[in-house]
Amino acid sequence: MTPGEFRLRVCFAKGGRLRWLSHLELVRALERVVRRAGLPYAVTAGFSPHMKIAFGHALPVGTEGEHEYFDLWLTSYVRPDEALAALSAASPSDLEPSEAAYIGDRQPSLTAYLNVAVYRVVVGGEEELSVQSVDEALRTFVSAGELRIERKGKKAKVFDLSRSLREEPRVSVAKDGIEIAMSVRVGPDGSLRPEWLVRSALEQASIAVPRVHVTRVDTLVEVDGGVASRPM
Amino acid sequence: MTDRDLWPRIEPLLERVERPARYIDREWGAAHDEAAGYRAVLLYPDCYEVGQANQAIGILYERLNALDDVAAERAFVPWVDMGDLMRAEGVPLFSLESCAPVAGFDLLGITLPYELTFTNICEALDLAGIPLRAAARDESHPLVIGGGPCAFNPEPVADFFDAILLGEGEDAVGEIVEAHRAAKSAGLPRAEWLAALSRVPGVYVPSLYRPQHDADGRLLGVETDSAPVPVAKRVVTSLSEHRAPTCPVVPFMDVVHDRYTIEVLRGCTRGCRFCQAGMIYRPVRERTPDEIVRDTLAGLKCTGYDEISLTSLSTADHSALEEILRRLSRRLAGSGVSISLPSLRVDAFSVEMARMIGSGKKSGLTFAPEAGTQRLRDVINKNVTEDDLVTTVQTAFGAGWRRVKLYFMIGLPTETDDDILGIAELVKKVLWTAREATPPAQRGSIRVGVSVSTFVPKSHTPFQFDAQLTPEEVARRQRLLREAMPRKGVDLHWHDNEVSFLEGALARGGRELSHVIEAAWRGGCRFDAWTERFSLARWLDAFAAVGIDPSQISNRERDEDEPLPWDHLTSGVSRRYLVRERERALAARVTPDCSFDGCTGCDACGDLNVDIVLAGERR
Repeated sequence: MTPGEFRLRVCFAKGGRLRWLSHLELVRALERVVRRAGLPYAVTAGFSPHMKIAFGHALPVGTEGEHEYFDLWLTSYVRPDEALAALSAASPSDLEPSEAAYIGDRQPSLTAYLNVAVYRVVVGGEEELSVQSVDEALRTFVSAGELRIERKGKKAKVFDLSRSLREEPRVSVAKDGIEIAMSVRVGPDGSLRPEWLVRSALEQASIAVPRVHVTRVDTLVEVDGGVASRPM
Repeated sequence: MTDRDLWPRIEPLLERVERPARYIDREWGAAHDEAAGYRAVLLYPDCYEVGQANQAIGILYERLNALDDVAAERAFVPWVDMGDLMRAEGVPLFSLESCAPVAGFDLLGITLPYELTFTNICEALDLAGIPLRAAARDESHPLVIGGGPCAFNPEPVADFFDAILLGEGEDAVGEIVEAHRAAKSAGLPRAEWLAALSRVPGVYVPSLYRPQHDADGRLLGVETDSAPVPVAKRVVTSLSEHRAPTCPVVPFMDVVHDRYTIEVLRGCTRGCRFCQAGMIYRPVRERTPDEIVRDTLAGLKCTGYDEISLTSLSTADHSALEEILRRLSRRLAGSGVSISLPSLRVDAFSVEMARMIGSGKKSGLTFAPEAGTQRLRDVINKNVTEDDLVTTVQTAFGAGWRRVKLYFMIGLPTETDDDILGIAELVKKVLWTAREATPPAQRGSIRVGVSVSTFVPKSHTPFQFDAQLTPEEVARRQRLLREAMPRKGVDLHWHDNEVSFLEGALARGGRELSHVIEAAWRGGCRFDAWTERFSLARWLDAFAAVGIDPSQISNRERDEDEPLPWDHLTSGVSRRYLVRERERALAARVTPDCSFDGCTGCDACGDLNVDIVLAGERR
């Protein structure tokens, strides 16, 4: 943080067709939004100066996000509502800034700070699925305690589900399939992807692996005592 | 047209393909107008990240969308994974904006950027469900129209197109749409659409021209009943008539040329005898500094890019380059927006300009001496001396650059082994000069990139009559060069000699090649411009199946009065001039640049009724 700079935290949603963007594509798109918005963004010193902006945890390709965040450093004060309006007007459809507020310069970075991700997973397919069968499949899998993801040419990822999951997944009926609500701990060494858990659990229960549509509903910070809250 | 939104059928495919962002649309600047009465779709015959930044498509997209009741959308060729899935699932080729079947549009415009994209034209038409050959289409099909650099010898793909525009499209697109819309709404048959289009200046309707051959299959000439001969290219009198696009589509993907590009001038009359672009885009027309600064700032504001590129065939030739760069640097100071210059002249002025804007500090500066000896540089009219290069390198390394990239060609007419060895000698001198101009402690970081392509004779150039080297001889000369080239500090890159061989055959072939292209595509060729997809063997099978010997096209020298497949099409530069330039080439005599000195008699200005437009005096 340089004296005289203002750290603006922006909450945004990435949905619709833009769920297919990679994290890098999203980063570039947001930097362009900031430039189009005409905000007085700060620029790093050095050989190749670039915008001072920092993002939260990456969203995988195909995953929507309803409350995602970035921090942007400005060289002069702009009223948060005006900054938000300018960002909104400069955003492509399916990318929607929803909130902007200044935060203290001593706050930790978003990636160091945010440690919980709340997901909504909707599964649907050719065959009719029942809440009960999906619920049972998940309970059985979770109670076994471990999720192992084999990766081509790399060491397998192993998740201790009692640690990765903050609570039992909740299954209910949704408009276009079965909805699974899930709250996952996010750590420095990677986090559990909900579609991995859902697909593995259904496969093990011999339920045909259906279409899986993942939305990260929230990214939160959990403090001692287990209460999780939004970072702004 | 029936308006079907294919998105619900496309989205489920996206988790099964690479880079889904190729197919999603929704970019900033994409134009959505689903209610327009006349609908055009512009297709680049390669994948999204290669075609999205194409400047010609950007210009035509904007021009068409500005027309009353006309909408233009974009389409690209789906990468092989997506193309295969679409076939398996019965999903046709779709436009990005409305996700509608391409076959349902009124007009399908396909740009012709490079010979190795030709099989992708078949791939696109087939995926769209449009008959490959124009002769098989009826009134229910879109008008399929081509344009771009390969339009100057479109004969190999002519049978796939209803019409082809020669030259610049800014004004012509509107006339084409009007002619088509009028004929279509009057309920006229397809043949009448084509007749109407053939009356639009610059439009070539291949079906109205019949190539004539002798008993041995040699071309005698082209016959037509009532269509114009020759078809002369369209040309915009002054770039000032049209603003540069200031709100182009801003892609999400990391595409080729991902920056705001402003065309600062069009045309180049340096007169390099191998260069087709230098012949077909004449005359030189510069935008004024005021226009360039105005459009660049507007473009940055609308797009949010952090880089601009001043593009043209020879940006350093702009008579007001220094003023433009000074004004832009001042306006962009502190914004983190960088300026890049795509091509530099081999002179200290260019280095000075690059230094002013800090361009290419990391990647290095790029220069194109093209040939290794003065004799051969005189043959090709590349007016660069060894002294020019040495002085330029001295200036660049003295100013802190540690990398340069040099472009050369092998296989140029009259080239001998001495010319090949001359390239290595020249690179040695560049290395030595770079070391001398660099503080001793930093000499370890000196890199000279040497990129060696194979000369491919192109239509409408003085070397259009010349034989291309066989791939075997190219390979021998490449070995010779590799052995003579210094190793330390040099990164040597080649163009694949097999790719160049095919490019040569497709560049100067006639109508009969459409059967080869179709056979190659049916044999599995697509995305041939991608090294990992290219297979000469599959192409040779296709040539053999059709009974054509590609070396008769690539490796054969023509008489200067031999009928050529593109004789009925003109860029304005006369054949008389090309022949004279070839004679001067063989005598190693250079020809000056008419935008600096006097007219050299290429006939383009007179034939096309245009003139050179400069923003100041060139130096």
